[in-house]
Amino acid sequence: MRFQDAAKDARAVVYAGIQADPLVARTAAFLADATPAQRVLARAVMNGESTSPEAWRSMFPTLFGEAAPAPGTSERDRSEALLDASLAVAGRGDQVRSQFRGAIVEALAELLLARRVPAGAIRRERRILFDGVPAEIHPYDVTVETPGAAEAYDCKWGARGISADVLHQLDDAREHAAAEGERLLPVLVVFDARRSCEVRLARQTAPRTGTRLVTLETLDRLAGRRAEAAS
Amino acid sequence: MTDVPALIESVVAALGRLVALGETIEDEWTYVHDLETVWAARLRAVAAGGAAAGVRPAPGLEAALDRLVAEADMVTDPHRAIDWLSTLPQATLVALGEAAW
Repeated sequence: MRFQDAAKDARAVVYAGIQADPLVARTAAFLADATPAQRVLARAVMNGESTSPEAWRSMFPTLFGEAAPAPGTSERDRSEALLDASLAVAGRGDQVRSQFRGAIVEALAELLLARRVPAGAIRRERRILFDGVPAEIHPYDVTVETPGAAEAYDCKWGARGISADVLHQLDDAREHAAAEGERLLPVLVVFDARRSCEVRLARQTAPRTGTRLVTLETLDRLAGRRAEAAS
Repeated sequence: MTDVPALIESVVAALGRLVALGETIEDEWTYVHDLETVWAARLRAVAAGGAAAGVRPAPGLEAALDRLVAEADMVTDPHRAIDWLSTLPQATLVALGEAAW
């Protein structure tokens, strides 16, 4: 088993530009330290239609209302910063915002992983090659390339992004690694509630027992922390 | 002031309107209806718990849920509607101070 940079085709070049946009890094950094409720806020705003921050503040009284942390506290500041960044993403327009959202989930996964494993072991947009096995077309969003304990991550904005192709690619990689005597943990990271993911997975016949599912409420496990209360 | 179960029922009704939009994506018909089933059940379980305890709406809750329903009703794209079938219940649960799952 060996890792290799993905080919820089036209799609990859365009997407690399989005991945490098400072808004992606800024939003991911806020999300990395966010509470689960703040992550739900970000998901809603980046999925939403309203462009007024006041409208969103009214929708999330536990973050911005009378009972919320007081203005000037770090948690309230983070809510405001996430709202601002999420509105900036939503303002990029329908086509571009979906690419931004995907890039943000990838960047968030990378940031959280860097709290658990050495940053040098974390790579982006990598293919995994096995002897005698045709390479997959799609690279993995994030890989942890630790000898003897490699991890491969596919990141999705929503549960709807879970497909048979994704599940097969992750499970195939695990099986091929095992056939070579290597250990590879495939992980599906979805910026959506596990309840929605389970609905999506319920009618999938593709293998998934060897693939770990990380969802909105358990993102901090990427950093080696237990999930916190959601609100 | 509207009670919590009635407020939650207005969100469930909004889910139904999102379903009507999202189910126009034929390949996602089952997923859309399954999402509605599980999230409506989750929200109604919270409503039943709140009603049983005689809980009054927290400050800002009625306005929050009205605004969330209005936000969901702004959606006209069926793909966005499918996104909101998962997002609206989570945002509602956060507004209620419940675990969003």
